Amino acid sequence: MTLKKLAIKFITLYKYISPVFGSKCRYYPTCSTYALWEFENDNFFKAFIKVLLRILRCNQLFKGGIDYPVIKKNINAVYGVKKRVNYWLVPITDNKFIVIKAENG
Amino acid sequence: MGNNDNLRRIIVATVISFVFFFAYDYFVLAPQTTNKELNNSKPVANTSKKIEAKKSIDVKTVTKIEAKNYEMKIDSLGRISSFILKQNKFNENGKHLELIPQKLPKPLEIRFKNENLNKKAFLTDVRVDKNYIKLDNKPQTLTITQDLGEVIVKKIVTFYPNGRYDLKIELSKSEIYFISPGYRPAVAIDQLTIHGALIKKSDGTLEIIEDGDAEPETIKSAIITAGFDRYYTTLLFSKKPFNAVVVPDNEKNPTLFIKSDENLNLTGYIGPKYVDTLKSIDPELVDVVQYGIGTFFARNLFFVLDWLYKISGNWGVAIILLVILVRLVLFPLTFKGMVSMYKLKELAPKMKEIQERYKKDPQKLQMHMMKLYKEHGANPLGGCLPLLLQIPIFYGIYKLLLYSIELKGAEFLWIKDLSEMDPYFILPVLMGITMYIHQKLTPTNFQDPMQEKIFKFLPVIFTIMMATFPAGLVLYWTTNNILSILQQWIINKLMESKKALMKAKK
Repeated sequence: MTLKKLAIKFITLYKYISPVFGSKCRYYPTCSTYALWEFENDNFFKAFIKVLLRILRCNQLFKGGIDYPVIKKNINAVYGVKKRVNYWLVPITDNKFIVIKAENG
Repeated sequence: MGNNDNLRRIIVATVISFVFFFAYDYFVLAPQTTNKELNNSKPVANTSKKIEAKKSIDVKTVTKIEAKNYEMKIDSLGRISSFILKQNKFNENGKHLELIPQKLPKPLEIRFKNENLNKKAFLTDVRVDKNYIKLDNKPQTLTITQDLGEVIVKKIVTFYPNGRYDLKIELSKSEIYFISPGYRPAVAIDQLTIHGALIKKSDGTLEIIEDGDAEPETIKSAIITAGFDRYYTTLLFSKKPFNAVVVPDNEKNPTLFIKSDENLNLTGYIGPKYVDTLKSIDPELVDVVQYGIGTFFARNLFFVLDWLYKISGNWGVAIILLVILVRLVLFPLTFKGMVSMYKLKELAPKMKEIQERYKKDPQKLQMHMMKLYKEHGANPLGGCLPLLLQIPIFYGIYKLLLYSIELKGAEFLWIKDLSEMDPYFILPVLMGITMYIHQKLTPTNFQDPMQEKIFKFLPVIFTIMMATFPAGLVLYWTTNNILSILQQWIINKLMESKKALMKAKK
């Protein structure tokens, strides 16, 4: 848990100062946003590897474009509770979801 | 959200840079010298009772050794009491550097476990077979004999012109004794760089004990014991593993000893941590050069930079060549990017349409642009990887400029020392200008006027930030900017010629 929080803190900090480097990322969402969404929705080691692969992919040899994080998750339905929506999980196959940050989440 | 958010970002970014800038100023430009140590002539109160040095009354110099690069003195207790570097490079405030501090132990100092014997050892003068040695190209041998009654200690030392010495210790009777490579040099001590003791074991693992962290301990099967500061070292080495003993002094700084009860054959070195010199004595000794966090990367980068230096003969030129080398490695990527630039022009009308449609939502605009790029296989953005790849290289050069004695005092054009800041601020300003030009040439599309303003201010912020950094680092960045400008200029020219071609066809 702490590793995860540390990663999220670090990425948030990076996102504050990243305009310094200008817009460079070939993807949407950008690598740092992708990393943030990954770390907030996946376990640390899975997220770390996925983010690493994403950064390695982010160069001129790859096409770039739209690439959302995809996570595996078992979802238990909760009824009758009012909850704020942070992320939309769009199902692709069984247990697999595309992660999209909610508009005001 | 746009304006306020960005305003906050630039404030945070500026504050962070200034904090960094001041911290650097405090730690590097005002290095803490430990000169107060020098008056400490009391007997060492070791926590370990085993090894105790007794104050000796009248210590005189018995042998003087003069080489081209150094001047060494052996005192009447058979220890190296002075080691002065004679080259002009090692001249501070008109004085040549002395690598042996006043603190004990001194190199070649022997202490005994037997208390009586130990007392005697610090009261009995030694006999030497030579009072003066002039070292030219050949190594020469000195025999130091100390008669302690029940046991006779013989140190046969062969001195080499490069600071190396071979040491043979012979005892007439088996006694447990400790021999030291000496207290670490106290010439380049500051808070930013590591200093203390290093022990390498025969299996290749390293134990680094920084000053202030020492605990009494014995390390088995060691092959190197070295005391080091930022640039200099004094060490003992043997291919045959030995027991190394760490004894903290009253400031918890480590002092090193080799424990033995039989005759020993050792190799020593006192001097600057030149990678080549250490390597020529034994490749194992290269590990004595430590660069702090990221040592492995910094060392390999050093080998590349050193190779470029040997080709070019100047460290500044070597740094420029390194930039070019990195660019060459990344060239396949850049080339791909250039090709896709061609296709991009054809997308211009579609781009405009998207930009019009999502004027108010930069998120959606970005998304649709990426979609368009992917569909047509044209993406003008360089990507995060090439950007991130520059960070370790930049960090590595920073470390090299911090720790490498080779790069200290490296001259380049008007710069006297690449490891220090540019005194005339020419390079930082040049960096700011090249950064500005590069920005001008790079096509950017800002959704937000505030962001655009920040972007335009960046060269100024960076110039101020980089002003106190080592000149070599600024040189790397400036060269990188110039190459980026060149590359962008070529891309722009190619695009123009293609445009003209298309017009002609119509």
